[in-house]
Amino acid sequence: MIQHPNTDTVPHQKAGDTLLSVRDLCKHYPIRDGILQSTVGQVRAVDGVSFDIRRGETVGLVGESGCGKTTLSHCVAGLTTPTSGSILVDTGRGAPLGQEDQIDKMTRDQYTKYRRNTQMVFQDNFASLNPRELVADCIGRPLRIYNEASGTELTERVVALLEQVGLGRQHLYRYPHQFSGGQRQRISIARALALDPDLIVLDEPTSALDVSVQAQILNLLWELQKERHLAYLFVTHDLSVVRHMADRTVTMYLGKVVETAPTETLFRGSAHPYTQALLAAKPDLDDDPNVPIATLEGVVPDPARPPKGCRFHTRCPVATPACGWEVDDIVRLLEADETMFSELQGVARKSDLEAALTFTSDKDAAALHAAMTSERMPDSMRVATEHLDLKGRTLNVRFRPTEEVELTKRGDGHHAACVHGQ
Amino acid sequence: MSAQDKPAAPVIADMQNLRVQFDSKRGKVHAVDGVSFQIRDGEMLGLVGETGCGKSVTGRSFLDLIPQPPATIAGGKVLFRPRVGALCPDCGGDGCAACGGTGSETLDLLKIPAARMREIRGARIAMIFQDPGKALNPTLTIGDQLAEIFLQHRSAALLDEAGITLEDTGWQASALRRMAHEEDNWLDRRMRKWPPLCSGAQRLSKAVADRVAAALAETQIPNPVRVMKAYPHELSGGMRQRVMIAQALACDPDLIIADEPTTALDVTIQARILDLIKTLQRKRRTSVLYISHDLSLVRRVCDRVAVMYAGRIAEIGTVAQVFSNPQHPYTQGLLDAVPRAGTRRGHLASIPGNVPELVNPKPGCRFADRCTHVMPQCTSADPVQTPVADGHQVACFLRHPREDATSPANEVAVS
Repeated sequence: MIQHPNTDTVPHQKAGDTLLSVRDLCKHYPIRDGILQSTVGQVRAVDGVSFDIRRGETVGLVGESGCGKTTLSHCVAGLTTPTSGSILVDTGRGAPLGQEDQIDKMTRDQYTKYRRNTQMVFQDNFASLNPRELVADCIGRPLRIYNEASGTELTERVVALLEQVGLGRQHLYRYPHQFSGGQRQRISIARALALDPDLIVLDEPTSALDVSVQAQILNLLWELQKERHLAYLFVTHDLSVVRHMADRTVTMYLGKVVETAPTETLFRGSAHPYTQALLAAKPDLDDDPNVPIATLEGVVPDPARPPKGCRFHTRCPVATPACGWEVDDIVRLLEADETMFSELQGVARKSDLEAALTFTSDKDAAALHAAMTSERMPDSMRVATEHLDLKGRTLNVRFRPTEEVELTKRGDGHHAACVHGQ
Repeated sequence: MSAQDKPAAPVIADMQNLRVQFDSKRGKVHAVDGVSFQIRDGEMLGLVGETGCGKSVTGRSFLDLIPQPPATIAGGKVLFRPRVGALCPDCGGDGCAACGGTGSETLDLLKIPAARMREIRGARIAMIFQDPGKALNPTLTIGDQLAEIFLQHRSAALLDEAGITLEDTGWQASALRRMAHEEDNWLDRRMRKWPPLCSGAQRLSKAVADRVAAALAETQIPNPVRVMKAYPHELSGGMRQRVMIAQALACDPDLIIADEPTTALDVTIQARILDLIKTLQRKRRTSVLYISHDLSLVRRVCDRVAVMYAGRIAEIGTVAQVFSNPQHPYTQGLLDAVPRAGTRRGHLASIPGNVPELVNPKPGCRFADRCTHVMPQCTSADPVQTPVADGHQVACFLRHPREDATSPANEVAVS
């Protein structure tokens, strides 16, 4: 380990102390439309997420593309400003995390410490290195910015960093394009390590790499963690990598955390149907090839108008009437059926749960009425329908009000947001 | 597994010692260096390997999609025997050695003229590309792009459906024939809206649209009619890949080259696309060359698998043989590098070193400098494919029968 003259890691801090705490974090992106570019909606990329990262631990963050995991990692690394909610960071005040540790409220001094203690490694190792910059400049830049070293000392520090990631002095004066993908990712890791951070946010660090190179990088990350007591936020969609690397795993779906648990607990028995579906969809070298891969039906709903209740209920194989059925679910089902959607004239909403759907003809309204009471609609949706009546071209529908599905405790450190097993 | 149930299935494609080289500033890059394998009718052959091992070039050589220059095909044959094709010129359909007893004509895809290749490409051999976002034309609607395949390969059937027979002469029939062959000129395009031509043109368009819709529906695309009017950017990644698959299957080809068809997709969508490819392949008994770097996927969907390393095939066999009893040290290393439930953190077995440069390579096993079992002969001579079991071949000196390799061989078996 490289010793800094003014190192920021306070010795009394030990493993298990909370390093970073995310509280009800939201990041909404406005959708602008029209000549005046007025805001017509919000894409809720991250919508009320809370979790902790402890010192020296690896937290895996998994989910499909578009679930907000990259946005969340950017918020944690301070690359985007959250819409609401807070991120509390331990900057070595020696006191439990509190109001003063919020990154948007802390002093400038503290903020500088947070920025240097939190580094990031990106997915695309080519795009994240300046093609016109030598490796020596690239890795040395953080050290120069923080006035850590200059001249020969700087070069020596860079060489030491390169050696730590399995490269050497001969690579100092080369450009990124002269390296292979795995080597470039090592350079990105060396750059992240330069200031001896406490936390490294790894955004899909191995998804662009081959399996044998991935193994090298994962081993390297583990060695570095052991040696330097690093904490990782490991964002990935590859569950076998998460299982291998993470102490705890956070599963996200449409901007919400659906389950968080120690990795082994999650893989032995997850409590959320979405996590279960993710696990089942991933072919593994050890599973039985004759068992068909379980597939998940439907598409991810639009994050600009996420479903109520449990956001997964539109695709959930075990949805219940209490999962948050609403008027939008009918609209979504109609959208999937082109002929019926084209006949839909308007939806007059009284609330999310109550609306009048008007069709172009009596026949179409009657067809939907018949569908709503038949096997074609999910059972749980039919049970959740409190009121359904047909008046000519108009179908009035009201759903039973349901409560929001919150994360509840399922075991030691295991929380899931699902109505089952609450 | 079809390959095992029917060992007598005829060979549909036979690659023999293919060598492809690329010119570079530093010399010739031997991207593919003596690759041989066979694909049997109705079989799914997986081709796995790391980035730059030449698996995509191997796949593209079936369709003459390798840019020449910079590439040169330095040798080898890619033989292809269409299921429904002309009779073998040597025996006239009775079955001889040249046609493998099938009686149908065998084509060397590297030698046939470009016009003949155009007839095969898309109709007899089709390709599914890795990135559907790039492979689809952003300026055309899905319907227009898929129509091209039918206009290229199914003109006769389309004309028939539009009510134009061979006997029809006159300028209207000629104009419609040109339209059905995608050879319509500016006058035809002007005239197609006007009475003498419009009814025929409409029948033709409807025949095309029906076929496109049917092709899309087969890949379980909801609302094919709406998707036909959409541009590629309006569809999700999974939907675009379904369009690519529909495009590949449109003319019911004998062989599909699937080049990493699910790499750009999410794991849940990947599972559905795999399911779809497998179902359609079983239903139509199409042969598939499935190129992938994901071992667990290949294990799932393929019948046989070939492992490529640095332009050569290291090992080839049935999925069961290669995955449960890997014989080549590279295959073993590759399988060990996949994180599994039992592996301890930081103890993933990674293969030391990097993939060798393929510029003017020296003779010898390409894996020699990374191999833990390297022997003197590994760096002096090229290992040849040696059978170790029925249908299982490995290119490694540890398995060469003439070598006294009992002790290192046992060592490999144990490790």
